Amino acid sequence: MEKYGKKRILLGKMGLDAHDNGIVVVAKWLLDSGFEVVYAGLYNSPESLVQTAIQEGVDAIGCSFLGGEHLYYTRRLIDLMNEKHIDKIKLILGGVIPPEDVNELKNLGVAHIFTPGTLRDTIIEALNNLFNEPE
Amino acid sequence: MKEKETMKIEGSYLEGERVPNFKTLSGIEYKEVYTPEDVTGALELPGDYPFTRGIHKTMYRGRLWTRRQQSGYRSAEESNERIKYLLSVGQTGINMDPDLPTHLALDPDDPLAQGDVGLQGSSLVILDDMIDLYRDIPLDQISNTMIVEAPTSAVIIAQYLLLARRRGTPWEKLIGTIMNCPLTQFVGPTYQAITTFFPIEYAVKIALDVMEYMIQRAPRWNIVNINAYNIRETGVNAIQEAAFALAIAQDYVRRLIERGLEVDVFAPRIGFFSAVHIDFFEEIAKLRAMRRIWARIMKEKFRAKNERSMWFRTACQTSALPLTAQEPLNNIVRAGIQTLAAVLGGVQSIHTTGYDEAFSLPTEESHKLSIRTQQIIAYETSVVKSVDPLGGSYLLERLTDELEEQILELLKVIEDRGGFLQCFLDRWVEDQITKMRYQLGENFVSGQQPVIGVNLFRDERDSTKISIFRHSDEWQRQRIQEIIDHKKNRRQEPIQRALEGLESQVRKTPEENCIEAIMQAVEDGATLGEIMDAIRRAIDFKRPGL
Repeated sequence: MEKYGKKRILLGKMGLDAHDNGIVVVAKWLLDSGFEVVYAGLYNSPESLVQTAIQEGVDAIGCSFLGGEHLYYTRRLIDLMNEKHIDKIKLILGGVIPPEDVNELKNLGVAHIFTPGTLRDTIIEALNNLFNEPE
Repeated sequence: MKEKETMKIEGSYLEGERVPNFKTLSGIEYKEVYTPEDVTGALELPGDYPFTRGIHKTMYRGRLWTRRQQSGYRSAEESNERIKYLLSVGQTGINMDPDLPTHLALDPDDPLAQGDVGLQGSSLVILDDMIDLYRDIPLDQISNTMIVEAPTSAVIIAQYLLLARRRGTPWEKLIGTIMNCPLTQFVGPTYQAITTFFPIEYAVKIALDVMEYMIQRAPRWNIVNINAYNIRETGVNAIQEAAFALAIAQDYVRRLIERGLEVDVFAPRIGFFSAVHIDFFEEIAKLRAMRRIWARIMKEKFRAKNERSMWFRTACQTSALPLTAQEPLNNIVRAGIQTLAAVLGGVQSIHTTGYDEAFSLPTEESHKLSIRTQQIIAYETSVVKSVDPLGGSYLLERLTDELEEQILELLKVIEDRGGFLQCFLDRWVEDQITKMRYQLGENFVSGQQPVIGVNLFRDERDSTKISIFRHSDEWQRQRIQEIIDHKKNRRQEPIQRALEGLESQVRKTPEENCIEAIMQAVEDGATLGEIMDAIRRAIDFKRPGL
């Protein structure tokens, strides 16, 4: 484990939704808190995100959703991560996700889900703990 | 260990029991007290140029604003049911939102579209969808706003005109609006969002085609609606919202004049769609300032003679940015206050954002509550019984002047840089938006912008549950299959001919109005995606997935 290296996080949106206020602000917060951010922007497919994650050697992927597309895309992304044997990369979600879907997503293997109104320090603390967990 | 943000913020507040600053959301300082000295110049009457106090003499005494809740989800049939429900509880206008693949001109069976079909609006692909969507709705009696931007707006308007023709409704009797603004309609003017699936310059050209076509054939139809709401929701402030929107409108006015159209022919059919955020007086002042500035621009710069050309007519939506997922019932209070600001600001129609906004599309219950909010203000509070009741308030008149001054300053910066479209292409707009988003994040963390139940007085024990609209995976699969079947089972030759005709027209004479050619393709059974892909090919634009 690279204890002293900066952790790299790939951030991006999947599908056609282009509401990106949240992910842009979170990207800034992560940068300011000492993470490295690879910003993939909008309109990613699960395939393109996984490819970028492998190329960039990231420690986590963070995706943001708004319009109800979170289950469709997260299932695909996780299948693909398993298929490519990169399931060690942590998966984090954010955005408008109804409470009843949060458990289902966690059961699928999502490490954290940050819904609207999550405080900056909560996010940073959760990520720091996530990367410090024993393997 | 770092102290929790909320505790820090709460601690500092409770110490003095004071708000964190005395500024408007856009940073204008509120004075301790306003006096008659703050009011300069004579106050004109409502209905008088430059219409600070309202575009009509009698305003809501003559007629209330239109209650116009956005709706649209899954199929056209289901959206039609929701429209009828809304009308049955007192909605007075329709506000129809298509899904994301429709916005971006992709068919449901496109691999890039499949996860988003029917989620944020209704899936509208072929003429039959339009027929289903407006079944039993009289197109010449209820005004209908269609929330769709160019280039998709060209196909949607073609479907709509064909629907009217089939029903025997003359085009000159159609009442409603096609929003049609490619710079703002999708999610506001963020660069990647609106340039990935279609080039913006040609989208503007198609928007102008729609405007030109409609103004000559449907004189009661609103040809464009500048979506200031979406501009605001990217995180910018009231001054930027107003200046960006007014700059975009000027870009369109100039280009329509270049096409040889008389300003007084088309300007009365240009509308706006504003945000109403949570800073009560600033939002009212913003609407008043926008009316004043637009009237002067139209009269002095574009030499309009008809007063209607000078009217800043605006729909509005109460901003969703202040709404929270924490303690969602608080949103009912917020939206109620925002709706009151819209009414005191003298808008023409209102969408009151649902308290479930931070979770999903509105449920029927939430939709009804939004309409009830407006009805309570309209029928119970008496605020509508006198025109511009806040006119003459020292504070409001001063704030209106200050906003006007700052909006004009920013407008000048944009105009000096070559207009809004140029600023957008130069990424200047993007830079402004990004800065404001970072600021938004800062203000949230520092508590300079308090959000009750979130960064102030947060209650981790709260477990309020509200019912939430659910999507259906099964429906998505059916819809995708339906379009695949449609493409298989139709008469192919006329469609091929129509699409080739369109492609060749755009390739040979890209400046020519393309609405007739699009209408032919729609009538023959072509889909939205096929039509737009023909245009994309003609202008050598390669979209993702092709």
